[in-house]
Amino acid sequence: MTARLGFNPYLLMLPGLLISGLVILWPLGQLFLLSISEVNRFGQILGPGGFGNYAQVLSDPLLYESLWRTVIWTVGIVGGTFVLALPISMALSQDFIGRGLARLLVMLPWAISLAMLAIVGRWALNGESGTLNMVLGDLGLISSNIAWLGQADTAFPVQIILGIIATLPFTTTVLIGGLSSIPTDIYEVAKIEGAGWFSTFRRLTLPLLRPFINIAIVLNTIYVFNSFPIIWATTQGGPANSTDILVTYLYKLAFRFGRVGEAAVLSLVMFALLLIFTLIYVRLTTRGDEQ
Amino acid sequence: MTMSREKRSVLIWLGLLPIFAVTLFPFLVMILTAIKPKDEVFERSWIPSRIAFENFAAMWTQTGFGRALVNSLYVSTLATILAIMIAIPAGYALSRYRFIGRSSSRRFLLITQMLSPIVLVLGIFRLLVIFGVLNDVNVVAVLYAGFNIAFSVWMLESYFSTIPRDLEEAAWMEGASRSKTLFKVFLPLALPAITVTALFTFVNSWNEFVIALTMLRREDDFTLPIQILSIVSGRYAVDWHLVMAAAFCATLPVAIAFAWMQKYMLRGLTAGAVK
Repeated sequence: MTARLGFNPYLLMLPGLLISGLVILWPLGQLFLLSISEVNRFGQILGPGGFGNYAQVLSDPLLYESLWRTVIWTVGIVGGTFVLALPISMALSQDFIGRGLARLLVMLPWAISLAMLAIVGRWALNGESGTLNMVLGDLGLISSNIAWLGQADTAFPVQIILGIIATLPFTTTVLIGGLSSIPTDIYEVAKIEGAGWFSTFRRLTLPLLRPFINIAIVLNTIYVFNSFPIIWATTQGGPANSTDILVTYLYKLAFRFGRVGEAAVLSLVMFALLLIFTLIYVRLTTRGDEQ
Repeated sequence: MTMSREKRSVLIWLGLLPIFAVTLFPFLVMILTAIKPKDEVFERSWIPSRIAFENFAAMWTQTGFGRALVNSLYVSTLATILAIMIAIPAGYALSRYRFIGRSSSRRFLLITQMLSPIVLVLGIFRLLVIFGVLNDVNVVAVLYAGFNIAFSVWMLESYFSTIPRDLEEAAWMEGASRSKTLFKVFLPLALPAITVTALFTFVNSWNEFVIALTMLRREDDFTLPIQILSIVSGRYAVDWHLVMAAAFCATLPVAIAFAWMQKYMLRGLTAGAVK
């Protein structure tokens, strides 16, 4: 071999592009094929189906219910997380006793997988001897036990809270990173100029934190929109489809109801939505690059 | 804002405690239930009368934990090795070469990173059925590697770019070949980043849910999340103390890894977010 033979960057990139392309584009092609075919419940293609699957998905009222719930789910978790993460990350950026411990405790829920969190939720929230009923009963907040996951009115909000618990660590981490990138001397100047706490926050902290806030919100939107385990492992979208969001509805169409063609259509629609979110993210990050 | 550090500390902790009460509640429930003696599980009490270590032994034999643990370890390790071996050359190419198609490759990888398996699960399932490789842990490992490549490449590239070129150039001057320089000079310097990236991939695979749920349908092949879910769903009486002991044991290694990676995560995420 010649001693100074350089590497070819295309060859170096090839395996990475190949495997991620294989894992993503190939299934995508299959989904497209299924979506325009007549498919039986075992996923076998019987013949060309035109836009039959598309029409059927669009005529299912469950689609619109799940879509609406997905909006509530995403806005609830992303919004709720942000409202909590901003003050938490600001507090954790202060110099105070036990900051290292506090940061560790904030990060801890990151370690538990969503499925495991949901399983713990099933136990803690059950109607008879669930820990939450015990705690609220001892505090005198409720007089009789509540089957939290047994009815839509309580199940869905509780699932959103589980979602917030799972999303908070990542968001806080990003915001702490953002806060630490703000030079401290501009605060000194603001103080000398006589700016109050709130106007400093509104005119300095928020604008400077903006890129980090944008990134956290867009990434969270993508993750939460796609999030399947919490709802699946607590209620499987039940009782009576009352906690279904698009991803659980999609999973049921494909693997429970045997409406494989329609599930393929829904997958493609969700893929398109994700692509839009991703383009927004690319926009946000590359604009940051140019500055 | 002239407040003493002590006073500020008290105020901040007072503000944080209610939040911790909610976010750490699942952990508390998990641990307290896992160490409760069997006959106290359904009692209205907080603190167990004694720590029931026997739960962990019982969990091991009764919940199929050992077999699922082996599956999880196998799949996650294989996925990590694959992902890292593929991501190192790609990350190196992106950080050291300027070539046509570089930015579109990065963009393509970014898009693949945003795609959650749930959107593709039906298409993947169909392919596996066509090729007759359903219930194959090796195939699942390849899928996990595929879904983790993009993140690994991005993470490695951003770190590789911080390693000065001079070191490599000096080695070339002294007559070392490209590949020798790569293995003897470059990769040892990049080892911390490679370790953290590998851990991330491992944890992602360890915790993955929807692919495992769909592609591994025989109990013998279940990974930990699927195994633990299978013992709580579809059964009339659930031994919650055993389930929580299993959940605790499945979570503990990840918690330790995260505590260790905490400072790298802060650095890595923000480096990736805004350059």
